[in-house]
Amino acid sequence: MAKFSLNNPSFTTEAVADGANRTDATYLALLGGSSTQRNSIIEVYAGGQATSSAPQYLLLARDSTVGGTLSGGRTAALDAANSGVSSAPTGFTTATTKPQRSSTLSLLNLTFNAFGGIVRWVAAPGEEIYTVGNTASLGEIGLSGFTGTTAGLIGAHIIFEPA
Amino acid sequence: MPSKRRHEGYLLVDHRNSPGVPFNPALAGKPDALVTPQGQMLESATVTCSHCNIIVVLNPQRTRERGYCPKCDHYVCDSPLCNRDCTPIKALLDTAQERALRNLADENQACFHLNQP
Repeated sequence: MAKFSLNNPSFTTEAVADGANRTDATYLALLGGSSTQRNSIIEVYAGGQATSSAPQYLLLARDSTVGGTLSGGRTAALDAANSGVSSAPTGFTTATTKPQRSSTLSLLNLTFNAFGGIVRWVAAPGEEIYTVGNTASLGEIGLSGFTGTTAGLIGAHIIFEPA
Repeated sequence: MPSKRRHEGYLLVDHRNSPGVPFNPALAGKPDALVTPQGQMLESATVTCSHCNIIVVLNPQRTRERGYCPKCDHYVCDSPLCNRDCTPIKALLDTAQERALRNLADENQACFHLNQP
């Protein structure tokens, strides 16, 4: 199956507690394309763009409330010859029903400073983070700032592969 | 002979041109709250817990034994639950996927019956 890049080239993070509504355009999230679809997260990258010190406590976590009426994510196939996937997963940064981070299902901590810092995680083959379906809590995953994050400009991408 | 190192992912935190981050007590208890100070770069191997899918950043200073499940031949995180029973996340996802497929099949079956004269 084809690999895709979900990215948000520039957005300002926020500090948000587990189980609280996330504000639009402060996160990057991926929702499965169907009730049976499985996605594997292969790589997560975030690069700082802030002009002053802004520590980021980014968490890649499953969402206990999935977003509704989604928009904003940029998703592109890595292979230019790819003709798309049926029931494409939805990458998004804004939602009418606000997504909420699970308090127990945080999977990856990417702590860095948005003033000149870079953070990148790559999975070994077969050791990816998986989502399945399109409902809570296994169907959606989000990259967002945890409590203590100083709002700061960053750019981020998530490389994933639907199966 | 396959090595456990084949399971290792890669984490990079680059603060060579950045003030870095102070330790945040709010992150205590969150998965591997790493701190990379000003002017430093961290490159580390990571492993994925076979039972809960959490990413564990391998701390080279650690002396305690790492969790390992001989049944699924994978590292597991420090959670007591993950060290108690062998419940691979892939099996859980398979079950969730299978259940969703069955529900779809049931719905299709119901629609088929509804559409019968």
